[in-house]
Amino acid sequence: MIPEDVEQLDPGLARERTKLAWARTAIAFAAVGGAILKKEPVAGLIVLAMTPLIWGLGRFVGHTAERPELQPRRLLAVTVTVVTVSVLAMVIALVGHPPTSLRDLLPLHG
Amino acid sequence: MEERRAARDGGDDHDRGSPHAPTEPDARFTLANERTFLAWNRTALALVVAGLGIVQLLPPFPGVPWGRHVLGIPLIVLGAGVSVISYGEWRRTQAALRRGASLPRSVLPRVLAGTIAGIAALSAAVLLVSAAR
Repeated sequence: MIPEDVEQLDPGLARERTKLAWARTAIAFAAVGGAILKKEPVAGLIVLAMTPLIWGLGRFVGHTAERPELQPRRLLAVTVTVVTVSVLAMVIALVGHPPTSLRDLLPLHG
Repeated sequence: MEERRAARDGGDDHDRGSPHAPTEPDARFTLANERTFLAWNRTALALVVAGLGIVQLLPPFPGVPWGRHVLGIPLIVLGAGVSVISYGEWRRTQAALRRGASLPRSVLPRVLAGTIAGIAALSAAVLLVSAAR
């Protein structure tokens, strides 16, 4: 009863690759957040805050067999975060400087 | 309709006897589909950052004050579009896997190639206008 393809016994390597893909995606968010942070601290922090969310979602890889109905929501969360980042980027690009920078938020004037 | 039902129910009410009844596909196919989706989303993120970088980090083109925005904003919009389209394609692929149907063809390579080529042409135009002034 041993299948020809060893991975058919346990999709362990495929699962591993998928976990790594989630990790790369989370790291991409961290890199983008870090890049934005220098010029736009608030927007950068918002993007950085998405990193643990994506990382956390990646921990559920392989649990899809038990709860397949949750999988679309996990992936939709990724699309929602990417769209959020692009809306932030659009605001920064159009306004030049969004109304809030850290200096505006903290009462450091005068 | 059947596609939507299959995606929502997750193949819980499948009938293994008939060939087109929705069944949960091989886990490796599901995982590969998920990786493809994630790869597209990283691409989308890269497009957004590229667009933002053009608007914020490039020095303005002499004589073309709107030049950076004309190049950067389409890239940002494309990034959001790629992410949304890739989610739709992930769903359709997953539904096709459940039905055992042939996989739908992706429009994303065409969208990406078309827009990048367009932005390259636009860059050349902005540079020419800038040089002429």
